[in-house]
Amino acid sequence: MIRLEDLHVRVGAFDLSGISLEVPQGGYALIIGPTGSGKTTLLEAIAGHARLEKGRVFMHGDDVTALPPERRGLGFVYQQYHLFPHLSVRDNIGYGIARGRSSNGQVRDRIHELADLLAITPLLDRSVRGLSGGEQQRVALARALAPKPSILLLDEPFAAVDPSTRQILRRELRDLHQREGITTLQVTHDFDEALRLGDLVAVLSEGRIAQSGTPEQVFRYPNSAFVARFVGSGNVIAGTVERSSPGEARPFPAKFRSESLLLDVVAEREGPSHAIIRPEDIVLSLTPHSDSARNHMEARVVRLERAGPVTLVQLDIGRPLMASVTTASAEEMQLRIGAVVMIAFKATAILLV
Amino acid sequence: MYASSLVMVKVLRYSVSPSRKVALDKRIREHDDMDMIPSSSRRLLVSGLGAVLVLFIVGPLLRLLAESSSTGLIESLHDRELRESITLTVVTAGIATLLAAVLGIPLAYLLARVSFPGRRVVQGLVDLPVVVPHPVAGIALLLFLGRRSAVGSVLGRLGLEFVSHVPGIVAAMLFVSAPILVSAAREAFRGVDPQLERVARTLGDSGWSAFRRVTLPLAGRGILAGSILAWARSVSEFGSVVILTYNPKVASIYIFDRFTAFGLSAAIPPAIILLLVALTVFILVQVLQPKDRR
Repeated sequence: MIRLEDLHVRVGAFDLSGISLEVPQGGYALIIGPTGSGKTTLLEAIAGHARLEKGRVFMHGDDVTALPPERRGLGFVYQQYHLFPHLSVRDNIGYGIARGRSSNGQVRDRIHELADLLAITPLLDRSVRGLSGGEQQRVALARALAPKPSILLLDEPFAAVDPSTRQILRRELRDLHQREGITTLQVTHDFDEALRLGDLVAVLSEGRIAQSGTPEQVFRYPNSAFVARFVGSGNVIAGTVERSSPGEARPFPAKFRSESLLLDVVAEREGPSHAIIRPEDIVLSLTPHSDSARNHMEARVVRLERAGPVTLVQLDIGRPLMASVTTASAEEMQLRIGAVVMIAFKATAILLV
Repeated sequence: MYASSLVMVKVLRYSVSPSRKVALDKRIREHDDMDMIPSSSRRLLVSGLGAVLVLFIVGPLLRLLAESSSTGLIESLHDRELRESITLTVVTAGIATLLAAVLGIPLAYLLARVSFPGRRVVQGLVDLPVVVPHPVAGIALLLFLGRRSAVGSVLGRLGLEFVSHVPGIVAAMLFVSAPILVSAAREAFRGVDPQLERVARTLGDSGWSAFRRVTLPLAGRGILAGSILAWARSVSEFGSVVILTYNPKVASIYIFDRFTAFGLSAAIPPAIILLLVALTVFILVQVLQPKDRR
C-alpha cells in the first residue's frame, strides 16, 4: 500500500503541490500526464530522492517520510534503465541482494529465478553494454525485483522499446504483477497504457493531480477540459451554460452557447463551462431527424479515417467535430469527403465540466 | 627521410575517419609512398606542421636515449648518491600524491556533483598553481612554511621542519601536482551518471556504499590515471623544490647539480634514468585511460 498525503515538492523552479493518492495493497496505479507535469519528480519523491517541502509518505501504513531511499524497501525502474555499466548482467541483477553476509547460493538462485521469468538467462554473463532496449528493460526490471520489494515504481518503462516489444513487456509486467502481488505505481504519458494496465489512474497536470479514479471513470467522466483532451475522451468545446427556464431544481435543462453554436444540455450549474461530446454519441444520417429531444444540425465531412471496424469522421459544423461510426454504416451511407450529412446527439450525452 | 614520412602517415592516421583509418593502416603496413595516398593539399599541410612538432618532441628524447650505450647506465646505478636521490624522489612524490588524493578526491567529488555557493571560485583556486611559475611557488611556500612564519613555527614545534628538509620537498610537490589530480578526479566523477547512485540507493545501498560500489569503480580509472600524472609531475618538479629543499637532493636537482659541477657527460646517466621512469609512467597512463577518451 502506498499513501501520499498532501505532498509538496520543489525541484528548481518546478513545484508539485497537494498530491494525495492511495494505491491499495497489490494495486496497479498509473500516473499519467504530459511531459513536464511532474510525473518523474513524484516518483523520486516517493522513493525518497527528493526532499519534501510538506506532506507525508506511507508504505503499508508506516510513515516512511523521514527514511532514506535504501530503507523504504521499494524497487525503481528508470526510464533510461541506468544499468551499472561496469557490471555484467548477472551482477546487475544481483546488485541489491549480493551484499554483506548474504548466502551466495540464495543470491544465485534468485538471479536465475528472475532471469528465467524474464527470459534473459542467455544474457547473464554478458556485459550490459550492447544490450537492446528491450533486453535492458528486462534486466532493469529483474534488478529491481531481486530484493523482493513490496512496492515497485516504474518510470515510463516502455518508452524506449519498439511497439512490438512494448506489447510483450506490458503483458509480462501485468502477469508478473498479478503473480507477485507487488503494489505498483507506473508513470506514463500514454492513456492507452493506463486503460490496459491500471486499476487506478491519476492524471497529473502542472504539478497537481487533476483527476484520479479507475481508468474507465476518468475516460468516461473527465472532470475538466484538460483531462478530457489528455485522455482523448472526445470533442471539447468551451462555452457558457444558460438556464432555459427559471427555477432552482438541479440538474436542469439548459442551453450551451459557444459562439454560433447553441446546444440543448442538462446542466448542474450555470456559467462558463466545457461541453464534452464523445465521438460515438454522435449519430450520422443522410436525412433530417424528426426527434426534437436531440441536438441536430448539418455537417460537412472533412476527413475519413478508417480504424478497423470503426471509422472516424472529421466533421465541420463551423468548428471541427469528431464523430465515429461503424465502418459498415459508413459504407452503407457512402460517406465521402465533402458530403453534407445530418448529425444528432442527445442532450444527456453532453458532459459539462 | 623514410622515418619522417612514416611519422607523417601516423599523424594523418589520427586525423581521419575510421573508414579512412583502415585504409591508411593498410598503407602503413605496406610502407607505401606518401604520394600514393589520395589527400588534399590542406591535409598535407596540416600533417606536415604536426610532423614538425612531433619530431621536435621525439628527436631530443631519442638523442638522449641514444647516449645510453656509451655512458654505462649500469655503472651509474652503482652510484649511491644517484640511487638515493631516485629513491627520495619516488617516495616523496608518492607521499605528495597520496596527500593530494586524500585531500583532493572528496573535493573533486564535491566540485563535480554538488552545486554550492562559490564552487567556481574554489575550482579556480585549486587550479591556480598551474599558472604560478614554479620558483614563485617555491618562494611563496618558503615564506608560508619557513620557521619565521606563523604556520611554519607551529608545525616546527610539532617536529615538522620544511625548509631544507624532506617535508619541504613533499610540500612543493603537493602544491604543483594537486591541481592535476583534482581536475582529473573531477572530470572522472563528472563522467559518471549521478542517477546510477540513486538506482543503487533504491537497491538498498547507503550513500557511501553507493559511492563505493558504483561511482568509485566507474571513476577509478580516470582517478588512477590522474594520480599517476600527478605523481609524474611531482617527480619532474624542480623549480619550487630547489628553493625549499636543495639538500637532500631529488633527482631533478641531482641532475642539475651534476651538470653545473661536472658538465654534460656527468648529467646524462641520471637524466636517462629519470626519463625512463617518466616513460614508464606515460605508458601506464595510456593503458589506464578510458577507451573512449584515448
